[in-house]
Amino acid sequence: MMRAPYMVIRVATRLTVPVLLLVLWQALAMASGSARMPRPSAVLAAGLALLASGDLLAGLATSLGRVFAGFFLASAVAVPLGIVMGSVRPVERNLDPLVESFRPVAAIAILPLVILWLGTGSIAAVVIVAYAAFFPVLINTIAGVKRIEPNLMRAATTMGVPAITRMRVVLLPAALPSILVGMRIGLGIAWTAIIAAELAVGAKAGSSGGIGQMMFVFYAYSVELNGIVVCMIAVGLVALCLDWVLRAGLTWAVPWSRG
Amino acid sequence: MAVFSVAWYAISLTTPNKLLLPPPADVARALQDMATDGELFSNAAISLGRLLLAVSAAAVLAIPLGLAIGRSRLWEDLFELPVEMLRPISGIAWIPLALFIFGIGTMLPLFIMFYTAFFPMVLGTAAGARNIDRRLVAAARTMGITGTVLMRQVILPAALPAILVSVRLAVAASWTAVVAAELIGAPSGLGYALDYYRSMVMTSSVMGYVAVIGVLGFLTDKALRLLGGRLTPWAAERPR
Repeated sequence: MMRAPYMVIRVATRLTVPVLLLVLWQALAMASGSARMPRPSAVLAAGLALLASGDLLAGLATSLGRVFAGFFLASAVAVPLGIVMGSVRPVERNLDPLVESFRPVAAIAILPLVILWLGTGSIAAVVIVAYAAFFPVLINTIAGVKRIEPNLMRAATTMGVPAITRMRVVLLPAALPSILVGMRIGLGIAWTAIIAAELAVGAKAGSSGGIGQMMFVFYAYSVELNGIVVCMIAVGLVALCLDWVLRAGLTWAVPWSRG
Repeated sequence: MAVFSVAWYAISLTTPNKLLLPPPADVARALQDMATDGELFSNAAISLGRLLLAVSAAAVLAIPLGLAIGRSRLWEDLFELPVEMLRPISGIAWIPLALFIFGIGTMLPLFIMFYTAFFPMVLGTAAGARNIDRRLVAAARTMGITGTVLMRQVILPAALPAILVSVRLAVAASWTAVVAAELIGAPSGLGYALDYYRSMVMTSSVMGYVAVIGVLGFLTDKALRLLGGRLTPWAAERPR
């Protein structure tokens, strides 16, 4: 009997600030007197309309397709490379300066070069995403391989396990938690990068499709601010879902890692 | 590194169109030209200044809020949900709306960077304040220390290493965001220069700016690491 009112109070507390923010937003929009100013009620209507017409889902599907293509490309290169860099000293010594000098260059910064080389289509977007996702996956793979208990590898070597089997049975399971964490971070960054790439391409060089482009069209041509807010919310929801899926995948694939 | 430069040079020799991939020497010359007439430095100064301003403004708000969330159930209940709702919407996704509200100018990159820097700092500070050794707080309480003094003398120093890590993450994220924001909607700064030279098809200048953005990002991170080591010598950074 005592727990119920306590829970009610907590739920009410948790909802206070979001509700206040919504009310404040609606009040500000009404006070501004501009019909274009987005307000919660209009955003809801715009969201339903965009969902019903299928535009929103089509845009999201285009962007997600690019993100997955780029992400898999990045992982396919970064994971094997990271394993080699993590276990073979000379390779790491030689490649590390190169990696470290490219890592601080944001994916958005190479966007102008990518547009120049590959145009403004899907390939350019995929390359940007792959570049963005590459470094977190690589760095975490290297770290995961290096953090393996050396005695595990030594024991396997002593028992005459051949190198390939050693990699499959000892190295990979031990490094997998770290690799998957890298993939989770990489996918999050990739999703941010695709929005930026589509926005910038849309802003500077014409059409490319995708949710970012859709936002830019709402901004520049139809001045449909409610649509922009709908896109923002959709972008946030997709980011949340991607993170959930990878988190679930992490606990499913490596139940031995806690964290 | 040397192999990379040679490979770059070799590929640039076999590329018929110099605009697509200029050889390293051309990029160096472009950098030198832009450095001598000062535009490189003024653009870099503008972008770095915006970074400093936006991140400090975000820190002033985010660190106290993070401490409060980490130490008080009420604050956590009040602010956890809105933070978790807004956080997945990346700063970059705000650009079109912010363009409408602020127009093209300095406010746009500042707002985007502020927003981008805010969440890592709130979450990092809250986690740092939450994971303080309970015995420290209990010991201080036993000695009659409460309120502001407890916060300043016990909780803040104990959470400082975590806070500094979150500041580093925030600066790195903001640095990415400033390039995106300036590329789309600012009349100055490194991102603007990058896109200006792209539209002029001056590839060697574009590559020069890309290099500068990378070097500055690397240097700010180095500087923050050094500062972190100075401020919290007791928390030697674990090798990663």
